[in-house]
Amino acid sequence: MTDVGTLVSPIIMGILLGGLYALIALGLSMVFGVMRLINLAHGDLVILGSYIAFACMTYLGMDPILSLVIAIPVLFGIGFFIQQFLMSRAFAISAEAPLIIAFGIALIIQNTNQIMWTPLSRGLTTAYSLSSFHLGSYQFPLSYLLNFIAAVVVMLALREFLRRTYLGKAITAASQDRRAAQLMGINTKMIYGFAFAIAMICAAIAGIFLGMTFPFTPTSGIQFLIIAFGVVIIGGLGSIFGTFLGGIILGLVQTLTGFFFGPATQMLFIYVIVLVILAIRPKGLLGR
Amino acid sequence: MKFLVSRLTIGNVIVGAIVIILVVLPVAGGPREWLLYLLLFFIYLAMANMWNLLAGYSGLISLCQPAFLGIAGYAVAMGTWVSIPWWLGIIGGAIIAGIFAILIAFPVFRLSGIYFAIGTLVVPEALRLLFFLWKPVGGELQGGGAGYIIKGLADVQMSTIYWTALGIAVASAVIMRIILNSRLGLGLAAIRDNERAAASCGVNTFRIKLYPFLISAVITGLAGAVFYVYQGYIEPSSTFNVKWTMIILLATVIGGLRTEGGPIIGTIIVVFLYFLLARYAGYSLLIQGVILIAIMLLSPQGIVGIMRNTRFYRAIFQLANRRLANAKTE
Repeated sequence: MTDVGTLVSPIIMGILLGGLYALIALGLSMVFGVMRLINLAHGDLVILGSYIAFACMTYLGMDPILSLVIAIPVLFGIGFFIQQFLMSRAFAISAEAPLIIAFGIALIIQNTNQIMWTPLSRGLTTAYSLSSFHLGSYQFPLSYLLNFIAAVVVMLALREFLRRTYLGKAITAASQDRRAAQLMGINTKMIYGFAFAIAMICAAIAGIFLGMTFPFTPTSGIQFLIIAFGVVIIGGLGSIFGTFLGGIILGLVQTLTGFFFGPATQMLFIYVIVLVILAIRPKGLLGR
Repeated sequence: MKFLVSRLTIGNVIVGAIVIILVVLPVAGGPREWLLYLLLFFIYLAMANMWNLLAGYSGLISLCQPAFLGIAGYAVAMGTWVSIPWWLGIIGGAIIAGIFAILIAFPVFRLSGIYFAIGTLVVPEALRLLFFLWKPVGGELQGGGAGYIIKGLADVQMSTIYWTALGIAVASAVIMRIILNSRLGLGLAAIRDNERAAASCGVNTFRIKLYPFLISAVITGLAGAVFYVYQGYIEPSSTFNVKWTMIILLATVIGGLRTEGGPIIGTIIVVFLYFLLARYAGYSLLIQGVILIAIMLLSPQGIVGIMRNTRFYRAIFQLANRRLANAKTE
């Protein structure tokens, strides 16, 4: 018999972990919501963010969170380039072209990571990422709390950005009706580029917090792509709140299955849950 | 009409002659290296043909082909541990891959377009984890991450494996031709162009999409099982790997998606690339990714598309010349 008290720890861990998953999914959700593209390279771009922080830490001795000043512009540029020079052309070709090109980008980034940083498993270990905090009689890793706080901050910032700034409003308009947005004088091609680039900022932040929580290898991208996709599928599209909820559900699935069946089966359960949800509600649990 | 028939037979004669040369090559003492290249060519060709059937003709961008070939490969490997001969294992593995395709069709066929692609992407990842954990045969040291050796291959000749692969490759091309000329091919074209319209015209879209999915699973499974018999060894992380998807995708896209000859041309290039890039194994995915993107952007119909276009231009040019000549004589 498992005591209810022992469940408190995995539940809180799952909710905190959900923040990280929501953060990873945010960029995927945005690219999908605006451009109707599932960016198969999203997971690898997140991992690229982790590696940039790793490089800053080992070569420059920078703190991972501080290394965002390098990771954000790099990924912003990559995102803008991908949309302006590859995807915008691909959309004109056929329905499958953007997907195949995204697949190609994913493998290019994965291979580049491997060439530059070898296939060894890496992690962003700092003094504070290893320490823990107490909540009552329970003890939790501090990095999980940081993930959760970062997720909440990024989500609120993104929401305010989309609501208040011209660029944000233009992105929202272009995602709702591209034609109408164009008629209102919005340069949708440019806006799409910025939307992709902003999604990549989210990916950079997610990558850094991911690196502080989990070890990563060049091939980890696909694992986090599937998690991000699961979050988007559960939470439905375009809703920041839904993404957050989806992240928490998947986080709970992971920690609870790890608690009951051992850590080796955690990811398998997540994949199965994603497939089951796809089978039952392909438009998402909260989707209309 | 007569012209068409005679042309077709000439084409058939050439194809037949090539197949016969390929068949007698191991007996005629072709170099072992050539046989190896050709073996890979046959295996990749069968898989590329099947992916072309899915992505090109049925609109199903499947990223779960490694699941089929891996399941069949594991069936062969595990079969030999309980003393099932390898050739029976190949057939059994293909059947299991087919059954598996029907099972996963229920969740993934509820998705369309890009959703379908990512839904299928989950499947090989889940299987990789499953085969890391699941060790039905062998002792502590076998199975899981260590993988299985395929037993009982000591007296199997290279030429036997070669002929099996050749047979599968030819079968895949013949099946493509049959499907495209059948009612099924028409139904697939209707679904690809507009699924809702096809459904409202009385096309059973689930079943019509299931057939190519099932056929591709079986043939891909056969080809994969033969590959692992040749390799003599199977383990999860290289089996359920996106590298397989990359090879299959690249072969189809370079040659020409939605063209019958595309996979053949594409596979020849992919096999060349494979041996050309062997020295730069660390960079091969990078180079392949760049080629994939470049082909997709510059010529979405691949090399066959380029050839068609040039022939088209040549025809226009000839027509213009003839008009010019006519005008002059008048």
